[in-house]
Amino acid sequence: MGQEKAELLKGTLDMLILKVVAFGPIHGYAISQRIQQISRDFFQVPEGSLYPALHRLEDRGWLQAKWEETDSGRDAKFYALTRAGRKQLGAEMGNWERLSEAVALILRAAE
Amino acid sequence: MNGWLGRLFRKRLAEKRLDAELRFHLEQRVRDFVASGMTREEARRRAHLAFGGLEQVKQDCRDARIENHIQDFLRDFHYAFRSLAKDRRFALIAVFALALGIGATTVMFSVLYNVVVDPFPYRDFQRAVILEMWDLTGPRETEARFHYTIPEFLAIREQNHVFEDMIGNYTLDVLYTDGKGGRLFRGGYVTPNGFDFLGVPPFLGRIFREDDVKPEAPFVFMMNYRLWQTEFHGDPKLVGTTFFLNGKPRTLVGIMPQRFNGYNAGVWLPLGLTPGADGTVFPVKDPDVIWAMARLKKGVSLQAAAADLDAILRRLAQANPGDLYPAQFKIRTRTLLDFVVGDFKKTLYALLAAVSMLLLIACINVGNLLLARATVREREIAVRASLGAGRTRLIRQLLVESFVLAVAACLTGCFFAYFGLKGLVAIIPRGPVPEETVIGLNPAVLLFALAIAVLTTLICGLTPALHAVRGNLQVRAAGSGKGAGGSFCHGKLRAGLVIAEVALSIVLLTGAGLMMRSFIALTHVDLGFDPQHMLYARVIPAGPDHFEMAAQNQLFFEQVLQRVKALPGVVTVTESLGLPPLGGAGSYITVFGKSLPQHADSMVELCGESYFQTLGIRLLHGRLISETDIGSQRRVAVVNQVFARAYFGNDNPLGQKIRFDAFDQVSGAPHNTYFEVIGMVADFKNRGPQESPTPEAFLPYSITGIGERFIVARTSVAPKSLLPSVQREIWAVDPNAAITSNGSIQSLLAEEVYTRPQFGLITIGIFAGLGLVLVLIGIFGVMAYTVALQTHEIGVRMALGAQHSNVLTMVLWKGLRLISVGMLIGVLTSLGLTRFLAGQIQGVSATDPLTFFAVVALFLAVGLIASLLPACRAASIDPLVALRYE
Repeated sequence: MGQEKAELLKGTLDMLILKVVAFGPIHGYAISQRIQQISRDFFQVPEGSLYPALHRLEDRGWLQAKWEETDSGRDAKFYALTRAGRKQLGAEMGNWERLSEAVALILRAAE
Repeated sequence: MNGWLGRLFRKRLAEKRLDAELRFHLEQRVRDFVASGMTREEARRRAHLAFGGLEQVKQDCRDARIENHIQDFLRDFHYAFRSLAKDRRFALIAVFALALGIGATTVMFSVLYNVVVDPFPYRDFQRAVILEMWDLTGPRETEARFHYTIPEFLAIREQNHVFEDMIGNYTLDVLYTDGKGGRLFRGGYVTPNGFDFLGVPPFLGRIFREDDVKPEAPFVFMMNYRLWQTEFHGDPKLVGTTFFLNGKPRTLVGIMPQRFNGYNAGVWLPLGLTPGADGTVFPVKDPDVIWAMARLKKGVSLQAAAADLDAILRRLAQANPGDLYPAQFKIRTRTLLDFVVGDFKKTLYALLAAVSMLLLIACINVGNLLLARATVREREIAVRASLGAGRTRLIRQLLVESFVLAVAACLTGCFFAYFGLKGLVAIIPRGPVPEETVIGLNPAVLLFALAIAVLTTLICGLTPALHAVRGNLQVRAAGSGKGAGGSFCHGKLRAGLVIAEVALSIVLLTGAGLMMRSFIALTHVDLGFDPQHMLYARVIPAGPDHFEMAAQNQLFFEQVLQRVKALPGVVTVTESLGLPPLGGAGSYITVFGKSLPQHADSMVELCGESYFQTLGIRLLHGRLISETDIGSQRRVAVVNQVFARAYFGNDNPLGQKIRFDAFDQVSGAPHNTYFEVIGMVADFKNRGPQESPTPEAFLPYSITGIGERFIVARTSVAPKSLLPSVQREIWAVDPNAAITSNGSIQSLLAEEVYTRPQFGLITIGIFAGLGLVLVLIGIFGVMAYTVALQTHEIGVRMALGAQHSNVLTMVLWKGLRLISVGMLIGVLTSLGLTRFLAGQIQGVSATDPLTFFAVVALFLAVGLIASLLPACRAASIDPLVALRYE
């Protein structure tokens, strides 16, 4: 089953992370769970990609990290969106919409 | 906590947190697996499997951050290249201007360093000093003695407290015979410690030892690399073989390396200072012929050394009253470096000042270009900032752009420097630069120039960038990209920069102009005779000691002169002791029945009957030296005007009697003899073209047996074409006679007198020319920019009825005003600065009005040309287009 799941397009992962984080501060594990849930198990984010991406986005200044207690009382690293991150998310979503629209147009025309 | 300790601590903390973050993830996963019904063991295994390697993920997280930076960096570079390529004209001019500055500065600094700081391959040559004895009672107070007698030398060597080591040497040609013919080598007689003193190891064999001058020691000598190559084809088996030098067998014990020309000789012979030792046979009795060079002990100053020597020589002077010591004298020690390079240093420093101005002009030019660009780009920067580019990011981008520019300029600059140096070395005068000097690119200097270039671009690129970024970016994006806001003050700054540029360029041009005037004056000096069509050859008859062979020498020269005179193309020919106008021998004199000042002196020329005819010197009084005077060795003399005026006053020169002290020390010359003045001739230059004529007496050459003479001929054809036949005639008389130098007087003058000012002139000329080109570009840039800014305004004017010519004059006028301010400042600065050039220029005043006028005229022309193009563009503006321009 794992093989059939789509490989995350590089770059797309960044956008998905930003989108998920946009709902409110959230830790890494929850992000991977959220993406898997919302995409109805279509996307499964490997830890080997998730954490480097989080660190990259944090370094870019799009995410802001803070150590806080979880509901279960454990300390975890929570990520939140910065203003620049929100701007970036808007730009990437715009790009994505234009891209998918264009792809859809071509596919329809080709039928 | 802020130093490395702080950084280390933060790094540790970051590592710890990374570990905690990933472990938290693992634990959550295990908890979820357990919740879904797995055993704890299984859940842990599965979680770890899904995670892959923990360490690998950690490394990827760290890399992700670094990758960010590399990506940004590459993107910045990419952006810089793209934006520079878009504005190719700007980029090319900026790189070219900076590269010129870097190249020229590097070349000049390299030459200065290699010539003035590090010219010799010798050990500790900075502490090597020459001893000079200055005569304070002499007529010109500039007379110095560099030579010492053997007793003096030994006294100094034994009694001084300031020297580590001291050597003595003198130069005398050595006759080499190999059975096929004689050749004369420049011989350097050196005390055995001479080579150890300079600290250069031999290329082959060994250097001299103290044993080499012991009375019973075998005769030895050493050879110069160049002589070894040219005369003996670099045969290494030569070491240990025996040569016949001055008729005596001598063994070659060593050959010095290529980069060694100590004591300036082809062969070196050991010089012993005790009676009976090798090398003590001098051609003159009781000679003061030993040059002394010494190495100061560490920490001893030149003054302290001079004071120490002064005491020694004063004791000697008291113990030996006589002609050797002037009534008042002073010892000076001069470094070898100063002695060799001397005044040429000043030329180099003047050129260094010139090249610094060129560099400054280049930097100003680039700064100006960058400012103009920044003004135009304010809008672009504002737009990018509003699109979310961070302030630091923008600044970094502009920095990278400046950096790319600087690096390109540096590479081009190195290229220029490499070829510039080759060109400069080709014209550098040989006289003041030691033969061993290796002039190469100096890495330290190159780094210095690079630093300046990088600094210039960074400052000029960043200042406007900061200005643009600091302001309210959104507002600027809304406004016009051209001419709004900050550009007004940029405009003033740019005008100021152009004014500075113009002023600097004027200073450079006046310097170059003065040097050119001085050079023209020098090459057109009236020598008192015509140096064109004159050839010379220095001839030494065969024989080990020609002082003892006066009669043979006389016969030899008579035959040579006859044969040379018979050559087609030769008009007249004579022999002489010195070579006019470059000087000759001198002597202290006494005039019978007159009290002259102490140390009255004169130059002494020994000449044949056709001497005056060959040179073309006018007789003013009495008669010239005749064939009979020469044939019967009569004690007669002809003097020049300066001589008569200085020593006879208003008295009739004819019939006066002069004694020449120098002859008393020469064997084979008449001692204690008075010469009767029979005539007076017009003055001509006898100490080089730059000096005014000094007193000179002309005597029949037959009165001494001196064998070394010049043959000087006036020709009707190009002198150099006759050299081979002259040589043939000389050897036809005696194949063992040696010719040590020959050529035309004109080319000798060029070599000896003109090369130094020519070097300065060409170099400063190039600098001034380059400066002018850069300034032309600068003026053009500012004017074009001003016109572009005013397009709208010009359009309005023209729509309201202004003529093309009105617009043209308006722009030209603006350009001229800019230039005039710069010129005024430049001329005033030049008037203040050219004083420092006074040592470099002769025959023309440092404030020569003609030069200043020419420079101003040239600059006006250049300024007009530079503003004409933008003015024409302004005049051709279409009002309709211009009004829509905003």
